[in-house]
Amino acid sequence: MTASQIMFDKVEAFYRPANVRAALRLLQSGKGQARVVAGGTDVVVEGDESVRFLIDITHAGLSYIRRRGTACVIGATTTMAELEASDVIQALAGGLLSRAARSCGSVPIRNMATLGGNMANGSPAADMATPLLVLDAAVVMVDVRGRRKLPLAEYLAGARTSRYARSLLVEVVVPDPPDGKGCRWSFQKLGRTAVDISLVNVAAGLQLDSRGRVKWARIALGSVAPAPMRASGAEQRMTGRILDHSLLAEIGAEVAREVSPISDARASAEYRREICSVLTRRALEECSAPAGCSL
Amino acid sequence: MLGSRGVFAMKTMELHLTVNGKSLNWSIAPGELLLDLLRRQGYFGVKRGCEKGECGACAVLLDGKPINSCLMFAAQAEGREILTIEGVADGDKLDPLQEAFLDYGAVQCGFCTSGMVISAKALLLRRPDPSEEEVREALAGHLCRCTGYTKPVEAVLAAASKKKNRARRVKPVAEVAR
Amino acid sequence: MSRAMSGDRASQSRDRGTPLGSGAVSSRLVVGRNVRKVDGVKLVTGGAAFTDDVQIPGMLHGKILPSPHAHARIRRIDTSKAKALAGVHAVLTYKDVPRVPHTTAGQAWPEPSPYDTYLLDSKVRFVGDRVAAVAAESRAIAERALGLIEVEYEILPAVLDMEQAMAEGVAVIHDEPDSTKIYDREHNIAGYILREIGNVDQGFAECDYIIEREYRTQRQQHCPLEPHVTICWLDADGRLVIRTSTQVPYHCRRQVAMILQIPLSRVHVIKPRIGGGFGGKQEMVLEDICGALALATRRPVKIEFTREEEFYMARSRHPQILRMKMGVKRDGTVIASQLTVLATTGAYGSHSTTVQGNTGSKVLPLYRAPNMRFECHVVYTNTPVAGAFRGYGCPQGFFAQETLVDEIACELGMDPLEFHRHNVIRLGDTDLLSAQLGEGKEGLPRLVRSCGLPQCMETAARAIGWAQKRKKFPNGHSHLRRGVGMACTMQGSGIAGVDWASAFLKMNEDGSFYLQVGASDVGGGADTVLSQIAAETLGVSLDKIVITSGDTDITPFDVGAYASSTTIISGGAVKKAAGKVRAQVLELASKMLDAPVDQLDCGNNEVFTTCVCRKSVSMSDLAMQAMYREKLQIMDGASHFNTDSPAPFCATFAEVEVDTETGQVRVLHLASAVDPGTAINPMQAEGQVEGAVAQGLGYALTEELLLDAAGRPVNPNFLDYKMFAATDMPKLTTILIETDEPLGPYGAKSISEVPINGPAPAIANAIFHAVGVRIRKLPIRPEDVLRALHAERPANLEEEALLTP
Repeated sequence: MTASQIMFDKVEAFYRPANVRAALRLLQSGKGQARVVAGGTDVVVEGDESVRFLIDITHAGLSYIRRRGTACVIGATTTMAELEASDVIQALAGGLLSRAARSCGSVPIRNMATLGGNMANGSPAADMATPLLVLDAAVVMVDVRGRRKLPLAEYLAGARTSRYARSLLVEVVVPDPPDGKGCRWSFQKLGRTAVDISLVNVAAGLQLDSRGRVKWARIALGSVAPAPMRASGAEQRMTGRILDHSLLAEIGAEVAREVSPISDARASAEYRREICSVLTRRALEECSAPAGCSL
Repeated sequence: MLGSRGVFAMKTMELHLTVNGKSLNWSIAPGELLLDLLRRQGYFGVKRGCEKGECGACAVLLDGKPINSCLMFAAQAEGREILTIEGVADGDKLDPLQEAFLDYGAVQCGFCTSGMVISAKALLLRRPDPSEEEVREALAGHLCRCTGYTKPVEAVLAAASKKKNRARRVKPVAEVAR
Repeated sequence: MSRAMSGDRASQSRDRGTPLGSGAVSSRLVVGRNVRKVDGVKLVTGGAAFTDDVQIPGMLHGKILPSPHAHARIRRIDTSKAKALAGVHAVLTYKDVPRVPHTTAGQAWPEPSPYDTYLLDSKVRFVGDRVAAVAAESRAIAERALGLIEVEYEILPAVLDMEQAMAEGVAVIHDEPDSTKIYDREHNIAGYILREIGNVDQGFAECDYIIEREYRTQRQQHCPLEPHVTICWLDADGRLVIRTSTQVPYHCRRQVAMILQIPLSRVHVIKPRIGGGFGGKQEMVLEDICGALALATRRPVKIEFTREEEFYMARSRHPQILRMKMGVKRDGTVIASQLTVLATTGAYGSHSTTVQGNTGSKVLPLYRAPNMRFECHVVYTNTPVAGAFRGYGCPQGFFAQETLVDEIACELGMDPLEFHRHNVIRLGDTDLLSAQLGEGKEGLPRLVRSCGLPQCMETAARAIGWAQKRKKFPNGHSHLRRGVGMACTMQGSGIAGVDWASAFLKMNEDGSFYLQVGASDVGGGADTVLSQIAAETLGVSLDKIVITSGDTDITPFDVGAYASSTTIISGGAVKKAAGKVRAQVLELASKMLDAPVDQLDCGNNEVFTTCVCRKSVSMSDLAMQAMYREKLQIMDGASHFNTDSPAPFCATFAEVEVDTETGQVRVLHLASAVDPGTAINPMQAEGQVEGAVAQGLGYALTEELLLDAAGRPVNPNFLDYKMFAATDMPKLTTILIETDEPLGPYGAKSISEVPINGPAPAIANAIFHAVGVRIRKLPIRPEDVLRALHAERPANLEEEALLTP
């Protein structure tokens, strides 16, 4: 039986720290009863009765999108709407992240939902996680011991545990993706209706040489494993091969072997597995189409 | 709702915000949601449909952007500007969107209407001449069980084209069989 | 799902103030015009118009403790801790309230549904059933109090599968001796129906081809944007006031009075603006328990369902397993049809026989077969309670029938459109099956006095491009395949001999009229349509009618908004009452103008002589004369019912695109041509079609309330119960084919239900055209299509195509 939504009437105080240090201090003193909130789209829906202190970090200087060296850095409280509209993000990897952000729920949701929140919620279906994984993104965590950077995949593996209970995700770092001729990216998502949580999502990128051979390929999938994942076996298989229909079929089959989807109210595992192959193939086709390869 | 405060010795806090152009100071509970606060303060046009941000009936504009007030803590509205459906008309003078909703039969039960008008208003401020696809995208977060969305979309397009003094996009065709 | 292209429709002119059509009809000034809704301004400005849009001092919040078990006895229930919680004013269990067997179905007395429900009981029969109820100072305290109620359950085996419910040795869900009108309680059979006209076995023997198939339909929830909500309080005279979101204020008054054992005249039901009902509010869902809390606390009490509670603690559509068999001659003439249905009504029998009765009575007679048989078992299961839902048994039945005839047509190499033309009911026909299947008893035969179905078929077929696309599709160079499919459906307009309404009008000195009707506008625009009828009859402009509806203290009786009855039955009462008031007006005008009544007419807010020397008096002058000189209040009322239920007809054509790699079905275009009789307000009528189609699309492709192995709801929220949103809708073409129905006010029938019946079969048929697989269950999910494509055989059970030479 799903829990009824109880209002947060036991919350004793609401804080809006003006910087990260203050936010951390509040988090420490909350002794496990404090909850960080940004857009509210997860926190409010969860309705956790044990929360006594709310820490609103949307005014702690974490809403930004900028370049830093050879990377693009995104503050944790940047909203999906901001990602969708940002020139910097649209220029990055052919607009891969913008497209994914656009698929994260309806307009009112995207105006509130934040990138940090999407990561911190740790859902295997998190639509932003898949393209970020394919771009080898990292997250920056801050806690009492200081600031550290860790690969997104590592963060996601622990996002739903208590490992990061006293830390704050402050930034997502997207290193400049490979660029150049024959390099393209694609994001594919399948839902039950136009606005839906992903049943399966795929983010892919590849680069072809002048002879239509794969220089490198990256494939990430969401909603088909406990956490969003890279299909590294499939990626390796592609390197150096001519990109043709038979390779695509082979990769589709390989990806289906690498994923471990579950059956739930939304779809069966068997269906998800099949869709993985289809979406992977379509993502790779989309990546190669403008490159004028032999497909 | 808050009820008798003595029961839980709840803390209250002061919230300063602007609603429909009016600067206000309200006493709120720290964990109170914006939807509950607005309805408690008499803004009944802001509707409670699902409390999970899925139906859009509770939408208001926050600094000009549509959001689901059921997902926002009231405290987060500190210093912000909110527009509810009650603030869309200018006194007795309806907004062209509201006129269009009435003229195009886009209102049936009316429960989703507040949210739709709010989102459509934000859309037209940002994109005065939207395509049908853009209108549908803007309304995608507003579930409606009565209209099938056809007339609300027509109404928004009509309101947009009226502003540009253009002929209505939707051409009527009469077909009557006897 | 698809992006829609711009909607286009063929209908009445959209310009305000332009009358429709030509001939005598164009002389109508108000009826037939696209006037704005009379309650439109307050809805579009967020006015405080709905049940919850009030703040009543001292109001408490009520909550129901739902059962966590599908089937259990309450061995012990201890509410002491809950009662002791500060802020709690009352906690009720079955020990605290009267035990009065009743049905919650909003039906005319004596209700045909079993009396198997109790305000609170010592047994629970589905996950979500009432265990106890609390009233407290705040919602949070009420929730906390629920958690403090200690209950010891004796868990009983749960019957979740309707196919097992009647088996020997299965737990009896209604073993209580005081329930009545249950067909066979020992075998969990709430109702059983068997009706036959002609001789079906003989008929099949005469056929050249017979096909028999099985179909399954799901549990669909109404999802009104406004969940069920009720506020009760005792007024200064100690009368129980019930302000509630209901389609049936009068049935509600009667039922609450009976259950709480207070005189009916001491109950006052007020229906404010309603945020959608669709049948889910043709029911007493919260009023009784809310009233009980108000009586116990002597304070106002509000109970409002959360969206989650609305999904499984309110009502939903009866799931059915339908076995349909049809036999035809070589030329496609239908000779015999037989429908056997197994349905579950959930834990209580609300609307159990009547919904299923419709599955037979409104569906089979679409075809002019002389032999028809309908048999149905409606069983109890420990699942959420099913009830009335737009279409009322027809969506299930037409899914079966219209996909079956498509299969027959294709087997015969016949265009399905031609098959329909050849076989569908016609003007002048009599439907004899309806004579056997009324509302729980013998019904009345239906005579088709108006029928636009032929034109509905032609115009919708043209709109979809049927002829070309039947030949051209399936084609496609890629994994995408297109197809077109069709379905014809019908419904009723009011329940013959059962639905009735009344209306009252009184004149004010400014020439305006107060119209008081018991009818319930639940959002579809009934108040507007009824005002239009009154204005037309009285010869005044629409703004001269002020309507009050659905208040049991003020307005005269009306059964309520269901069975597509409001326009035809409530409208009929309004026309009658307005006619009587018009006669009083003319009588006075005759004196004032010194002209005989037969030389007078009303129009444009005045009464005028029809002869050459035109004299006139304004309605306002006449009213002043009446009130202050004649000392006469011009007023009158009337009641109305019909002994027949004229069918609105609908032809639904769909174009789909199937992605053969993912199984996704994109509906590109859906055309509905509907014969509603006269459309009193064409714009509102179109709106009804479009809304019904959207619900039909969800029914066809995405909506299903799922239960787990313990009978608990799996997806009681909008995230996982998928309704169509604005970005999912196909291009819609809506065509009104108006006819003139003698039994309806100004020729009107109805429109609010029939368009929901067509999308599911039309889409299923289009899928077959596109990819050659027949899906015989709903919803048709991508997974189902993909599985069928892989198997190259239908997605459900064994086929039995008996092709007799």
